[in-house]
Amino acid sequence: MLEDKDFELLDETPVAGEIVEDKEITNDDFTLTEVDSSVHEQKFQTRPTTFLKDSLKRFSKNKSSVVAAYILGGLLLLSFLVPIFDKSDLSDKNPNSANETYLAPKLFKAGTGFWDGTVKYTDIAVDVSAKPDAKTEEEKQEYWWPSSKSFPQRSAISKKKFTEEKYTNSLSNGDFAKEGFIQFGYLRTDPMNEIVSFATKTIPALSLDDNLYLSVFDTYDVEKIRVIEGKENLGYPDNYEIDDSAFYFTYTEKDADDNEVEKEVKLVDYAKVHNIGSAVASLKQDKVDIGKIIKEQTGKDLFENATFSVRMETKHHAKNVCTLIRAIAFESESTDKTIKKMFEDMSFSDATKALTKKVEDEYEYWSSTGQRLVYLAKAHFCSFVYDTYDAKFGIKEFNNFSILKLLDYEDYGWVSFRDAEGYKTLEYVDGGDNPGFFLKEDTFTCKILNKEKCPLVRELVVSDFYGNDGQGNLQVKASVYQYKYNGYDKAPIYLMGTDKNGKDMLKYVFEGLRTSLILGVVAFLVCFTFGLIWGSVSGYFGGTVDLVMERIVDIIAGIPWFVMMTLIILHFGQGFLTFAIALCAVNWIGPAARTRTQFYRFRGREYVLASRTLGASDARLIYKHILPNGLGTIITGSILMIPSVIFLEANIAYLGLGLRGLSSLGVILSDNQSELFTNPYLLIFPAVVIALVMISFNLFGNGLRDAFNPSLKGEE
Amino acid sequence: MLKYSIKRILLAFLTAFIILTLTFILVKALPPRDVFSPDKNVVFAFYSDQVDLGYFIEFSQANPKYGEPLKVFQPGEVDPNPHYYYVKPIMDQYFTWLGNIVTKWDWGRSTAIKPNASAISIIATRLPTSMSINIVTIFVSVPLGIVLGIIAGLKKNTLTDHAISTIVMVFISIPGFVFISFMLYLLAFKTGWLPTRWPTPDQSLSIKIQAFIIPVLSMAFGSICTYTRYIRAELCEVMSSEYLLLARTKGLTKNQAIVRHALRNAFVPILPMILSEFLGIFGGSMILERLYGIPGIGSLYIESLNQANPDYNVLMVDMAIFTTFGLLAGILLDLSYGFIDPRIRMGAKK
Repeated sequence: MLEDKDFELLDETPVAGEIVEDKEITNDDFTLTEVDSSVHEQKFQTRPTTFLKDSLKRFSKNKSSVVAAYILGGLLLLSFLVPIFDKSDLSDKNPNSANETYLAPKLFKAGTGFWDGTVKYTDIAVDVSAKPDAKTEEEKQEYWWPSSKSFPQRSAISKKKFTEEKYTNSLSNGDFAKEGFIQFGYLRTDPMNEIVSFATKTIPALSLDDNLYLSVFDTYDVEKIRVIEGKENLGYPDNYEIDDSAFYFTYTEKDADDNEVEKEVKLVDYAKVHNIGSAVASLKQDKVDIGKIIKEQTGKDLFENATFSVRMETKHHAKNVCTLIRAIAFESESTDKTIKKMFEDMSFSDATKALTKKVEDEYEYWSSTGQRLVYLAKAHFCSFVYDTYDAKFGIKEFNNFSILKLLDYEDYGWVSFRDAEGYKTLEYVDGGDNPGFFLKEDTFTCKILNKEKCPLVRELVVSDFYGNDGQGNLQVKASVYQYKYNGYDKAPIYLMGTDKNGKDMLKYVFEGLRTSLILGVVAFLVCFTFGLIWGSVSGYFGGTVDLVMERIVDIIAGIPWFVMMTLIILHFGQGFLTFAIALCAVNWIGPAARTRTQFYRFRGREYVLASRTLGASDARLIYKHILPNGLGTIITGSILMIPSVIFLEANIAYLGLGLRGLSSLGVILSDNQSELFTNPYLLIFPAVVIALVMISFNLFGNGLRDAFNPSLKGEE
Repeated sequence: MLKYSIKRILLAFLTAFIILTLTFILVKALPPRDVFSPDKNVVFAFYSDQVDLGYFIEFSQANPKYGEPLKVFQPGEVDPNPHYYYVKPIMDQYFTWLGNIVTKWDWGRSTAIKPNASAISIIATRLPTSMSINIVTIFVSVPLGIVLGIIAGLKKNTLTDHAISTIVMVFISIPGFVFISFMLYLLAFKTGWLPTRWPTPDQSLSIKIQAFIIPVLSMAFGSICTYTRYIRAELCEVMSSEYLLLARTKGLTKNQAIVRHALRNAFVPILPMILSEFLGIFGGSMILERLYGIPGIGSLYIESLNQANPDYNVLMVDMAIFTTFGLLAGILLDLSYGFIDPRIRMGAKK
């Protein structure tokens, strides 16, 4: 080995031309060049900034993102504060929830016309009760009200507006109407037979000499109705057929062995009457002398202790076909009143009653039962504004108010039923010969002591009570403030209304939002952690490890998200944890891919190489050197996962696999979807909230990403 | 390029195969459901077909040798003897299933939606409806998206651009079901302009045509927004490029430069997207089809998930369709980049 001493310096003389002087340099050798001008060195006025501060500054310049961040913060705050401060009870145990269903959203006073707890109804069938001495149309209409079944509180109805009478198909049981048709056979997708028995009577004796008739008025198939309404869109086919319709008269009689045997007589056979496949098939039948037919076929003219029933049979071979009959009347010229009455009862007593009685202008209540359906009847309609708060919390007349409650009120000290001498004038006697309520009519007093609490509107008088006092069967009519009756000091106001279960939508929606957000954050954290680990391993090691891991990612990414979620939810149920897992299984690929990209970007950099040269371990390189550099990009890129998780959860709720036990926004929306047309506010509020969350999250996330990675600006 | 394409397609089929295998095993591992039909003959036909297809084994009497409980079926009056069926283990069924697909193109039989009908035939009846909506959607969304994108891109940072960008942002963020609900409420229910439900086959043509409006709009908005955003971004980039400046310098008018140079280049990333959307016509939007009552394969998916009587066999085939076409669309998207833009060399090594 060569050492220093083995070498010889060839040229020890200095370079030619260089002046080598052994001279001391002192301060005097220097002169100041700018003695007269002054130099002021100053510190930076601005403070040194950090990456975070710089990013925040960039972020705050993006106005829309800042607004979005405020909205998001507000919603977040509301989602935690509203469930705490809104005291309404969402559980099934809430005693008032059955009463407080479908209260419309209310913010302003009733009558404002907007967000005031009223609902505008149009085309509601009217109960047309006649005012005894009404002359003008207006006077008559004062007595017309929408069906009291659906709208019991008349004081809540305002701005009634009536329409001309018209044919309609939207009547329900209990509505007032005239004319119209009875529909036999459902509108089915499969052709089938329909047998309807519509009258069954047992009478002691029936003589066929009493001239019995069957009349069928204006029987049409659906096609004819289409012409009547003059509207094309009824959803019925152009080609249809009605096949083999018939009326039967069945009766039971006792045979030789005293067994009851059912026999039948075909009264009218429409197979002979109608045209199969024709455009209009009228099944109208003139008066049929059924007495004669039965006599001919049975050879009897007197039935004793027989049960009669009339049955209509239709066979529909085509799809979506039904038979409509306007009126069926059974008449008897018998002098026997029971027989006459029986035959009247066997007639259709609902839609066609008006016709069978031959009185044109008479309105009757519909009351179809069983398989008979009402089809196209004439009715008056009205549009009106219904104050749901008045209906549920306003003054209500009770025809039969609970007297036990009255006595309870006395116990609470709200009313007093004691007379001047202090004796009770209304009391409940338990036991004895006549248990029940007793009222002292001569000295009855009723004083309201606590006007704030007592639900009674006015003091009761003796005439409010009815029933047989001697028997203890006492009933009372009372007007009551319903909100006090329900235990409120003031009628509650529901900002977003209540749903079909009487749940306060305000609290329900924000609880749902909270659940959705928690789910989003949990899923984000889990996915992010897992994706970070997966991506860093895959990206750092590269080569075969990367190849294998990438193929796994390919397969998982190839499964559509709903397939993956469906399978997981079907296997593990619909709990919160399962949802978190399912959402993670779908979402971890994004952060993993982002992490992998960052690792590919940084792992070849010189500083990593330098650390590696100095002996840093893989873990140190990953967690101390590479990850911190890429983390900002990965986080801001992944933050948009939270809205996407909320979105996925809502979507899966619409597939019928939503979260169970907890209400998320998606579950609320999908549960209320069926009420889109009837109570749209049930959808509007959660929809607005979810839309706001999604929009502001997206804006916020984009702004954040632009601020942290200016190079990615504009990319989506 | 050819080699790469073949490699990608083969890989996609392998992926699809693995996914379908996993799906099959996971679906079959669910608690089994009996065939649901009120008609005993159909149930009997289902059982005997399952035996023929190789999923069940039939015994003339109860045989206790097998660990799993046997299914017992009493056909009724014609054949009063009970039949005993043993359902084969999942992996057995899996290989039988594969064999049936290859030899008979039988993907399994429906158990609830249309008992004993082959799942493929049910899909075949549902597919045309979904496809027709998807095709109309493409013809609406592509031109609209492109036009809006061009307007926004050319009028960058003007009021028009901001308006379009905001609308795009809002529509991309609002979930589809919210959107569909409000269109249904406003356009169909409140005003009565459009039908509130998908019409039955026997309704008049005008209603059938009207019924397309809401589904097509609700599906088109998403893709319109996507196209608008991409075209705008591309156009903005191209507009500031040097070759466009050169084109203007050599004397082309602004319109000439835009049409001949800017647009051509801006379309490069859009065309593959449009192409892959054409493969997407084989899918169906589940929520839309559920909300509007469209008998397509999206609503079939929900029907087959019915809590009371799910039809797992149909569900599986539906999943298979969504998966396969999703994968193929992905490949088409990737490969077409290479075909359209010669600068991009797919699969090239670094």
